[in-house]
This record gives sequence, structure tokens and C-alpha cells, in this order.
Amino acid sequence: MEITDLIYKIFIKDGAWLTISKGLWATVQISALSLLFGTILGSIICFFRVGKIKPLKIFAQGYISIVRGSPVLMLLMLLFYGVFARSGLDPITVAIITFSLHTAAHVAELLRSSLMAVDRGQVEAARTLGFSKIQTFKLVVLPQILIIAKPVFQSTVINLIQWTSVVGYVTITDLTRVINNIASRTMQPMITIIGGMIIYLALSYTVQWIFHLTDKQRGGETK
Amino acid sequence: MKKLFTLMLMLLVAASFTGCGGGGGTTTENQTSSTTKIGILEYLNTNEQQFTGYVKKIVGNYSINIPNPQEYKFFSNLTSMQMALEAGQIDEMSALLPVARYMVDRNPKMQILEDYMTTGTNNYTKDGQALEFANDFCLAFTTQNTALKIAADAVVADMNKDGTLAKLTQTYITDLKANEEPAPVAFENIEGAETIKIAVTGDLPPFDYVNAEGKAAGFNTAFLAELGKRLHKNIELVKIDSGARAAALTSGQADVAFWTVVPVSQVIPANADKPDGIELSAPYYRSAIVHVALKKN
Repeated sequence: MEITDLIYKIFIKDGAWLTISKGLWATVQISALSLLFGTILGSIICFFRVGKIKPLKIFAQGYISIVRGSPVLMLLMLLFYGVFARSGLDPITVAIITFSLHTAAHVAELLRSSLMAVDRGQVEAARTLGFSKIQTFKLVVLPQILIIAKPVFQSTVINLIQWTSVVGYVTITDLTRVINNIASRTMQPMITIIGGMIIYLALSYTVQWIFHLTDKQRGGETK
Repeated sequence: MKKLFTLMLMLLVAASFTGCGGGGGTTTENQTSSTTKIGILEYLNTNEQQFTGYVKKIVGNYSINIPNPQEYKFFSNLTSMQMALEAGQIDEMSALLPVARYMVDRNPKMQILEDYMTTGTNNYTKDGQALEFANDFCLAFTTQNTALKIAADAVVADMNKDGTLAKLTQTYITDLKANEEPAPVAFENIEGAETIKIAVTGDLPPFDYVNAEGKAAGFNTAFLAELGKRLHKNIELVKIDSGARAAALTSGQADVAFWTVVPVSQVIPANADKPDGIELSAPYYRSAIVHVALKKN
């Protein structure tokens, strides 16, 4: 079979699969760490955004609108070739910083919208029943936010994985870059790119599967 | 699992449809439209219309006879240009001769066109004519790095004189067999020497590509190894997207990048593909430009 030969030559031969796995690892590494830091930072920004301290609120508003409103590649180029150009920071670190900042804006916004979706009356009721502010948040508001935010958060994660495909611009060899390199070397872009898409698809499915597992742990309560 | 399988199937069907649709597109394109769309790697300081104008003027200057008016389309890398050709969005692609040979060796769907630019591949050297249809390979430096540029120029002149460049050309370009990929060169580590960072893209085989093991390889890297040895400097390769070369140079993330330029031209301005603040070394290789198209059934 000619096509199987071709696929073997493109994706397996001479350790090509190992190079692809290394690229995949770079993608996973950047995505996972950015997700972690982005979620933490996003929660803090959301806290500022809905809080009562005026300057922090304005800062959070500005941050969210600037970062959400500009392409992540611009931010990445700006940070790598501008702000951190002479700092000697590892490109992967700069990429993680960029994507954390970017994810934070999205997470802050999705948390705020989930927060708004929680019935205000429940908070008042809990407070009347003698719950402290912290107890109200922990026992009444937070469990509901988690359920509301989950599907949107899941799509943010999947989006994040795809956004990371631009890191080739800052000297990182990620999955997209490996696929492009292979396409150039083998001169078979169609098959190579379809192969790359299937790997990204598998990654997205893995994320969905992980989210699905957490559903089961809570007794499959998502609707 | 079943869902996943269905999705994959849908993807495959979609892919085969695009293939067919694209193929169909080419034939109708050739019959109906009278302009030939030609893909070319993008120039930084000029646009598609201007470039089309330049070529028209050059063709007029040399009274070359071409059947259809031409229209140039810019692409940021070879892969996307090749896909556009396969899908029928462009009729021909303009490529460096060694790149075109590498391409047709590996992709049996393509052929090098035997038109005015290819008949006698050394056409461009005759009386210095039509040098517009050739490209010089240079190293790019920022204007703050002139000392390094002067040193590199001297090395290139030396390598030209003692035949090293000719030997490298033979090994990595002229004698390259179909489907052969020379092993990446090993860079010597010179103890205590200064390190210069050089940007490679992996987008331009056989000059610059990344081998199956993920190592930068090709003619350019072989040239670099020799350059490093003669400059008495360590070379660190930085793999980068070709669109980010200028940014990498000006920000200092790379000291040197590869650049190709039109050697001599009355028509194409000298800065058509050169950003401000960047200067180029003496050329270390000259290549003819040819056109590649899909084979006709």
C-alpha cells in the first residue's frame, strides 16, 4: 500500500514519532502550566473585578478588555521580543507567562458570569440564617459556580491548547512547528497536516474525557 | 469511542472532498481565466500588486514572451504555497531551483516548468541578464552588529577562494540524490569562545530543514558549522518561524538570520525584502528561480 508507506515515512521513520512526541510534550507542558497559573490569576482578577475597591476594579476591567480584545500572538511577540528580550528568560517560560495572562482574562470573565448567574436571594437567605460571609461563599455560592462554570471552562481549556500553536514564532518547537517542519521536509503537507489535526483532536478528546471523569465522581450531576 | 470514530470518518470525507474540489478547480481555472496566478514567498516591504508590476516590467525589459498575464500571490511559507498549488488556488509556484528539485523528487504530483526561466538553468548568468530571476543567499545582521558582518564577509570570501563553498554545494545540493537527506553536521564546541545565536527556520529544504530526529540540517547548517570554525565562535541554532526572523534580529534573541535577495535589479528596489536596521553579508550561494506546477493528466 502506497499510502501506508507514506504515512509510515512521514510519522514514524527515523524517530519522527519521537520528534512529534517531543513537540506534543511542549504543547501539553505550556497548556497545562498556563492553565494552572491562568486559573489562579483569573480567580484573583475576578475577585478584584467584582470587589468594592475602585482602583482594583478599574484595573481588572482594563486588564480583561485589553487582553481579551487582542490576539494572543501579538501579546506573545510583544513579551518575547520586547519586554523580556534582554532578560535571558527561556522561551517556554515566556510562553507560559503569556498564555497564563491570556487565560486569566478569560477565566476571570467566565467566573464573573457564573457568579452573576447565582441567585442573589440565596446569598441573602444564607446571611439571614446566620452564615458568615465566608461560609456563604464556600457552602452556597461556590458549589453552584463550579457547576455553571464547568462547561465554559472546558472549552477554555480546549481553546488554550489550540492557541498555543503560535509558539513557533518564539523559537519553541511545539506540535504545530514539528508538523510544519515535517511537511516542509517530506513535501507532503496535506497528509502531514491532517495527521497533526488528528493529534490535536486526540488531545481535546483527552481533556473532555478528564472532565467527564470528574462528572462521574460527583454522581454525574451535570445536565 | 463511537463518536470519536464518526468524527474521524467525517474528517476523512471532508479531506477527500477538498482534494477533489481543489483538483476540479484547477481544470476550470485553466480553461476560463487568462491570468496565470503565481505563488511566491512574501517580500517584506512590497505588496502583491507592486511585485506583479515589477515582474511585468522585467519581462518587458528583456522582451521575454509569456502567453498569459501573470499575477503574483504572496505566501509566508513553502508549505502553505504548496498546499495552494495542490488545491488549485495558484497555477504555478516560484521556487529556488534546488528547492524545486527537492520538491518534485518527493512529490510525484509536481513538475518543474520548462519555461523561459528554466530553459538552461544557468540562463541568468548570461551577460548578467535577468538576474532578477535568481536569488542570493546572505546572512542578515542588525546594523549594530557590523563587526560580525565584516568578519563573516571575510570568511565567505575565504571559503569561496579555497573551494569550500563549492564542495559544500556539491555535497548538499548538486549531488543530493532523490529522497536522500544528508545527516546534520556536528557543531564543534570551542572552549571559552563567544557564542552567536543563529536563527534557522526549517522551512526551506534542502538549504534549511529539520530532520526526522528534530535536528536542524541542510546546506545552511553545514555552511554555519564551517563559519563558526573560521570565526572561532560557538554557534547556537535557534529554530524559529520565518515570519519572526526580523523581530528575532532586532530584539537580540538571535544575532544572525538567513536572508535571500535578488542579486541585481533595475526594477525591484533594494529594500523590497529588507527591513530597516538590517544589513546583509556577502552572498555565499546563488540560485536560479524556477516555476513548479502540478503535472497535467
